[in-house]
Amino acid sequence: MTSPESASSSLFGRLTGRPRVTRTSRDVVVLHDVSKLYPNGRLALRDVDLVVPEGDFVFLVGPSGAGKSTLMRLLIRDELATRGHVVVDGDDLAQLRRRAVPRVRRKIGIVFQDFKLLPRKSVWENVAFALEVTGTPRARIKPAVDRVLALVGLTGQAGQIPTQLSGGEQQRTAIARALVHDPRIIIADEPTGNLDPVISWELIQLLLRINEMGVTILMATHDAEVVTALRKRVVALEEGRIIRDELGAAYHRED
Amino acid sequence: MIAFVLFSIRRAWQGFWRNALMSMAATLTMVLMLTLLAGFFVLQNVLLASLSFVEQKVEVVAYVENTATQEQVDALVAKVGAMPEVSSVEFISRDQALANFRQQLAAQGRTDLTAALDQNPLYASINVRLHDPSQLTTVVSAIRDEPIVRSVINIQALVDRVLTFTGIVRTAGIAILGLVGLIVLFIIVNTIRLAVVARAEEIEIMRLVGASDAFIRWPFVFEGALVGLFGALITLGMLLLVADPLSQAMVNFFNVLPIELGSVGRDTAVLVLGTGVGVGVLGAWVSVRTYLIR
Repeated sequence: MTSPESASSSLFGRLTGRPRVTRTSRDVVVLHDVSKLYPNGRLALRDVDLVVPEGDFVFLVGPSGAGKSTLMRLLIRDELATRGHVVVDGDDLAQLRRRAVPRVRRKIGIVFQDFKLLPRKSVWENVAFALEVTGTPRARIKPAVDRVLALVGLTGQAGQIPTQLSGGEQQRTAIARALVHDPRIIIADEPTGNLDPVISWELIQLLLRINEMGVTILMATHDAEVVTALRKRVVALEEGRIIRDELGAAYHRED
Repeated sequence: MIAFVLFSIRRAWQGFWRNALMSMAATLTMVLMLTLLAGFFVLQNVLLASLSFVEQKVEVVAYVENTATQEQVDALVAKVGAMPEVSSVEFISRDQALANFRQQLAAQGRTDLTAALDQNPLYASINVRLHDPSQLTTVVSAIRDEPIVRSVINIQALVDRVLTFTGIVRTAGIAILGLVGLIVLFIIVNTIRLAVVARAEEIEIMRLVGASDAFIRWPFVFEGALVGLFGALITLGMLLLVADPLSQAMVNFFNVLPIELGSVGRDTAVLVLGTGVGVGVLGAWVSVRTYLIR
């Protein structure tokens, strides 16, 4: 069954016994034939194939309800695929034991449209929270938090609570929190959805900088202007299917 | 391991005070429910004590032949007193019986006609009290066969009625206490669930940043224990304040002093602390479980 090529070159091939997906570098995200049927009967994803090499910057576009959020929830194993394989950094999530789930989640930093910051904690505490609740020794927390706050440019606001911050600053806090575990992937679900255009651009610049440091970025967005201007890889979803997967593409199809 | 426990306790403490309003509401509910439970528990104990007091009143009276010598009587008293079912034996001589009778008449304000008698018509008796009135038949049949015993007053029917009554009251008391216990359990668990649900977002964030189940669960469990502990201590403090005047009032009201309530204070403390902490932990455990990895 298994060809020598698949056994040696492709992690995905090793898992499935099918040497169909060819790849050049390490793939941090592999979805193969993934379908997701919710208990209420809604088929959110149909036969989705997606391979994201390490260091990629991928825009996930498509109308609301197209399956973007479901795809992201599968990656953090908030949901399990009904069919197919979801592989994150070498781990097949369907075969992952419950106890191992937190370890995989720490490889993924997540950023939401509504920031999801704790309102009673300061910026510094919000970022440190991610390390505290994962059992990081206190001595290692301070340098790590200081480092990511410097990276996102919030060192001066470390003592403020989220309500004292602008939307952009709140989202940068969320990004700092997502980064503090040194993740391999950042998943951003419409991170600029609540921000005005100028602030959105600043945030995109920050994500690009993080991407240049080698972190793979998967960003769902409706922001056509940003997507078209950046000419990155664009994966378009519609009714649960990938209808387009292009490198250096625009928000809309350009045939 | 120790670091984890310390972390959980620190987080529980923070969680309690940072959500002061919710914590206070939960603690207050805890206090009300524990007071209710403790109240019913104490009532139950007073009831049980009263019932056994009533049961202790059951007394076997055996009349002794006038021909019996003092030695025979002493031997009988010693023999009956040695029976395991018997708690006390008292010998009432003929003269004493007459004196008691006269006293009763005087107390009731009736004319004393006994002076007109040429001799004492009463028999001497031994009055036997039992540990457990259901053992009546055994004791009565043993005494009845004694040669110097003239007759034993038959109180079987009365005792049966008393025992049926106390049995029903006991069962009802336990059923009501159990029901109150269940109500208390559900209300406390629900209150803690509300406090946990109010922090669903915090739990959600913990999950998303890769906190393990234990790191999410235990701080909440400790917090539930903390709410239970505070609630129990406040409840016990309140009970301590009202305990003295209340028991005094009770003694005055019922006018039955021999009720034994010695260990009730300690039992109530154990019950309140145990229920508070136990149900707090249980409530937190089941409430957080909803949010853990599916």
